[in-house]
Amino acid sequence: MIDTALRKRFEAALGRDAVLTDPLQLRTYECDGLTGFREVPALVLLPRTTEQVAAAVALCAEAELPFVARGAGTGLSGGAVPVAQGVVISLARMRQVLEFDPDDRTMVLQPGVTNAEISKVAAPHGLYYAPDPSSQVVCTIGGNVAENSGGAHCVKYGFTVHHVTALTVVLPDGSVVRLGGDAPETAGPDLRGLFIGSEGTLGIATEIRVRLLRTPQSVRTLVADFPTVEAAGEAVSGIMASGIVPAAVEMLDALAIEASEAAVQAGYSLDATAALVVELDGMEDECEEQFERVVALCREKGTTHIRIATDAEERARIWKGRKAAFAAVGRISPDYFVQDGVVPRTRLAEALSRIAAMSRAEGLRVANVFHAGDGNLHPLVLFDEQAGEAERAERLSSEIAEMCVELGGSLSGEHGIGLDKACSMPKMFGEEDLAVMGRLRSSFDPGGLANPGKVLPTPRLCGESPGRYRPHPLETAGVIERW
Amino acid sequence: MTDEPPAAVREPDGPRPAGESGAAPAAGAPRVRPTSLAEAAEALGTAAREKQALLFTGAGTALEWGAPVGRTDVVVETGSLDGLVSHAPEDWTVGVEAGMPLSRLQELLAPAGQWLPLDAPTERGGATLGGLLAGGDTGPRRLKYGGLSDLVIGATLVLADGSVVRTGGDVIKNVAGYDLAKLMAGSLGAFGLVARLNLRVHPLPESTATVALETGDPGHALRAARAVMRSPLEPVAVEWEGERLLIRFHGTRESTSARGRLAMDLPELDGARVLGEDDEHAAWEALARLIAGEDGRTVLRAGTRASRLPALHAELTALTRDTDMTARLVSGIAQGVHTVVLSGGEAAEHAACVTAWREAVHAAGGSVTLRRRREGVDALAASWGPAPSTAPVMRALKRQFDPGGLCAPGRFHPWF
Amino acid sequence: MISPHGTPDPQPGQGPAQGQGFDAHDPPSPDLISDCVHCGFCLPACPTYALTGEEMNSPRGRIYQMKLIGEGEAPLDAAAVGHFDNCLGCMACVTACPSGVQYDRLIQSVRPQIERNWARTRADRAFRGLIFRLFPYPRRLRPAAALGALYQRLGVRRLLQRTGVTRRLPARLRALEALMPDVPLRSALRRTPAHSPARGQASAPAARRTVGMVTGCVQQVFFAHVNEATVRVLTAEGCDVVAPREQGCCGALSEHAGREEEAVVRAKRLIETFEDLEVDAVVVNVAGCGSALKEYGRLLAGDPEFAERAERFAAKVRDVSELLAELPPLAPRHPVPARLAHHEACHLAHAQGVRRAPREVLSAVPELEVVDIPESDMCCGSAGVYNLVQPESAEELGRRKAAHVRSTAPEAVVTANPGCLLQISRHLDSELPVLHPVQVVDASIRGVKPW
Repeated sequence: MIDTALRKRFEAALGRDAVLTDPLQLRTYECDGLTGFREVPALVLLPRTTEQVAAAVALCAEAELPFVARGAGTGLSGGAVPVAQGVVISLARMRQVLEFDPDDRTMVLQPGVTNAEISKVAAPHGLYYAPDPSSQVVCTIGGNVAENSGGAHCVKYGFTVHHVTALTVVLPDGSVVRLGGDAPETAGPDLRGLFIGSEGTLGIATEIRVRLLRTPQSVRTLVADFPTVEAAGEAVSGIMASGIVPAAVEMLDALAIEASEAAVQAGYSLDATAALVVELDGMEDECEEQFERVVALCREKGTTHIRIATDAEERARIWKGRKAAFAAVGRISPDYFVQDGVVPRTRLAEALSRIAAMSRAEGLRVANVFHAGDGNLHPLVLFDEQAGEAERAERLSSEIAEMCVELGGSLSGEHGIGLDKACSMPKMFGEEDLAVMGRLRSSFDPGGLANPGKVLPTPRLCGESPGRYRPHPLETAGVIERW
Repeated sequence: MTDEPPAAVREPDGPRPAGESGAAPAAGAPRVRPTSLAEAAEALGTAAREKQALLFTGAGTALEWGAPVGRTDVVVETGSLDGLVSHAPEDWTVGVEAGMPLSRLQELLAPAGQWLPLDAPTERGGATLGGLLAGGDTGPRRLKYGGLSDLVIGATLVLADGSVVRTGGDVIKNVAGYDLAKLMAGSLGAFGLVARLNLRVHPLPESTATVALETGDPGHALRAARAVMRSPLEPVAVEWEGERLLIRFHGTRESTSARGRLAMDLPELDGARVLGEDDEHAAWEALARLIAGEDGRTVLRAGTRASRLPALHAELTALTRDTDMTARLVSGIAQGVHTVVLSGGEAAEHAACVTAWREAVHAAGGSVTLRRRREGVDALAASWGPAPSTAPVMRALKRQFDPGGLCAPGRFHPWF
Repeated sequence: MISPHGTPDPQPGQGPAQGQGFDAHDPPSPDLISDCVHCGFCLPACPTYALTGEEMNSPRGRIYQMKLIGEGEAPLDAAAVGHFDNCLGCMACVTACPSGVQYDRLIQSVRPQIERNWARTRADRAFRGLIFRLFPYPRRLRPAAALGALYQRLGVRRLLQRTGVTRRLPARLRALEALMPDVPLRSALRRTPAHSPARGQASAPAARRTVGMVTGCVQQVFFAHVNEATVRVLTAEGCDVVAPREQGCCGALSEHAGREEEAVVRAKRLIETFEDLEVDAVVVNVAGCGSALKEYGRLLAGDPEFAERAERFAAKVRDVSELLAELPPLAPRHPVPARLAHHEACHLAHAQGVRRAPREVLSAVPELEVVDIPESDMCCGSAGVYNLVQPESAEELGRRKAAHVRSTAPEAVVTANPGCLLQISRHLDSELPVLHPVQVVDASIRGVKPW
């Protein structure tokens, strides 16, 4: 519990205006982008500096208060859901660009800077920050570090972990450490890489050094319509097997197109069963040559219509349609769940037809808008909570995620495990694997105060042994393997 | 349980692949050479029960890196754990046992028009993928493709107690759970054995071209490198090897030759030329050999902001001016990864230079790993610089993953 | 600095109405609330979130509070009122929202709820009362402005400023004082002629359009010259312009502040004034008024006598830039060789969705360079009477906007809303001319310097 004396100590450390205690104000922090999970915190803190975060965390450690770091609260796995009677440390006021060196192509940011802002600041120097999650206008670099966010272009450019070279981190005991370094190579084990994607369970990143890339000379984007999802899937395989590394290959199915068009009118064909967005970038001549090959490949695989962006404005519109598709589904359904499973790209068509069958069986619509280039599915299960469909939708959603694992994929490609999928982790990892992950976690956080209940399943959260992963005896012996 | 026979423990004089260095740390220790994951797990489990200190080795190309290992009771060789587990060309993934040499993997991938775009200098000594991950060795192409750990999508590890742990997966995008492979990256074998790796592969580029600019001036080299990085040419590697700047391009045949021409048009690259095919190969080979080092030389590897190069080069020149040593600084100049090679001179001179130059790098905000040393240096210079702020975390990790302190004890002394 | 929590601190026991929720008269609709999927895309668009970094001062947070209050899970208390009052109503979030949440309708139904169900402090009531008894009445505003002009002319302002008297005024009065434009006395007393015929062009002798003009309340006193420019441009472009006297205030300010009854009365009066005129369009040069006029249909939807008339009226409303963009230029434009920073008024860009028209109209002026301001989607802090009732936030936003304007190194600023014009001039310390776009077009047609 947080008594007056403790609250005053937080206020003394951070300033009065950085400590929220009003019940209504606290409630606005009770959930993130996944509203199904809610928990009211006892306190919300709004620090402005690394020192203030360290002071806040040290007080939490002293009082044994669990704390949850929060950026823009856009996460889709419940990773920023508060802990009851715990503290939320909002990094929304830490949005300074601390350093920018265009010659070394590097920038140092506070965690509350939005992803899109980085590229905006870098743009006058012909530079940009490559990872571009769909929520980039709002999601923060701190949240990106926590989730190891990718985005549409990660099939070519990789994830946050490939673009963040150093972190200043407040550990769960309040101490401040520096992970990584100024160069991509540093002495000793790669704790930076370990921290990125740890979903706020190992500490709070308060300064983030990113590397910037030169804006590609040429960017070519097309939208190709296909009569079936399978045909679109084959076009994806064809492109990826051709030796071309596209900057992005995205797919939207008919429902997703409907939603997106309702929201932003980006000009997708409403009569297409599936649309592929393919983008190439790089040096002009090579980009051009490869683009022609992609167009030919789409034709070969039976595209019914190809729209080629003729200028930056049209390209922006195509992407606006793609990036708004998630939230736009709100226009065609009162409620929805988003899944984030990954399947090997060669099994995309199979995964999609299984999703369609599962959707029919459950009697709930599923929209698909996803990163086809890396097999990262985003099935959106549409339902109406008021019609009592929530439970079925949740079941269908989990089944889809677990099917991805079954097909040799992953529970999550970019949204993280959070609270949402913690209980599904045993489907993907063995007991031993999870135990070792637990050991890693306690190396950083022996008191278990940093975002507890997230990532790893806990008995309290998941029941004693909820559909526990049962390894094959040979697997236990280390004779056979799943990967 | 397994029907496989336990891994054979052989006598120290048994045959083993020699590392390029020819050095043989733990020369007297018995060696085990597991042929399967189960055998590896059993070997480590047995060692843990008997509290035997372990040294993991693939090709042995990086056994000297870091601080000398204090005690070795058993050497675990991964050379027979070298199979191909899976290759899904259309998924851009391959699974290998960690003892597979990089060069062999490249041969296996080539027919599918793919490769692992890694050009670690130790490849020439037969470096294995597990060793490359643990050593953190990467080459010039890191600029474009990242290092090995950037290409690892999943791993199977054997921890000090013999337990087998999986991390990641085998799809190219995945964020489920902690990425334990990162703990292994650069760990120099101090946290466990890398047994298997799932990797993301890339399409083989059709063509390569290299532009060379003769310059011994790091400031000039830096300006030229920046000009290339500002241009739309997208080099895959930019290295200054002390006397010239090498800039490499990948792509289609037309594209690489166009890039070469355009690079020469940059005013900052006045006087540069495109290397012929043989010259190109020779230039990168020579660079790799220089970085890998050889017996009798001291090799330091440092990472800093790219712009620190001229100052660090000046510092090195000053440190070696009145000595019998020759110093060579090779810089991944667009990334700030520098290799210093000291040759000639006395051990004391090497030691003094190691200590002083490392201090300069630390002062510039960078970090240093001592990779090789001339004999006698260890007695005079610490292997590692001052402990980083993360030392307490590393110690905590070590306690969790290797509570008995059996994996490469002393490798990171005095950090942990 | 903005006060803690971005709002006046919640002070319990402030008035008699604490602890109540919304009443049954048009509470924020649960259906509209449920459109929000909590994605957060509105956050970067919201000026108060930009200032405070606080969830409860963001559109997503405000909708969440509406939901909690509407469901009876939380009372309409001082904290909530503070967060709603703090909303500028700039509607940038409406533009940003991918789910099509109608935040404009939500906040507009919350404001009257507050006025009815929350007892403001006496000082707050008095100040709001002063504003709403003054601004919407040109007849009252004109003498006030004349006094103001005198106040400036006689150097009283400078004297007070120099002696620091103004600094000791409460923040809101200080804001009121500081915003007072330098109005030439003559300008404050001018009135728009009731009828201005189209000026015959050889090529098009007959009037192309007959338009009614809304002259505004604040506009016709403080910005009579903008109205004059509007009339000149419209007539030059072949429009007959009808501007009924005594049209009064359109009710925008009142509606914006939740004074719904007042807004309804004013809307009805304006509709009555214009509906019998045979006009093709009702043109307005104040973005804030325009957005209210276009919403009359919704405002009066529940009134059987007016519902249909309001719809008909609203359908005719055009911002002056929209109308000009529809009409191919008739009068020749003279070059205006200058670099202009274009500030998009929220009530034009977000509330009315009019973004291209002002740019198109300005692009017809030869040699004129129009540049966008960084963070162009962000409100300048004017927002109706916001800069008067929430001076701290408005102050910070104004400074931020002025800095962005300066960063583009313009020779002048254009914006289609008098509130923005006052706010931006003030924070630029009058170092740059701030004009309505129509003034630039007017100068171009007449071949004079616009400033």
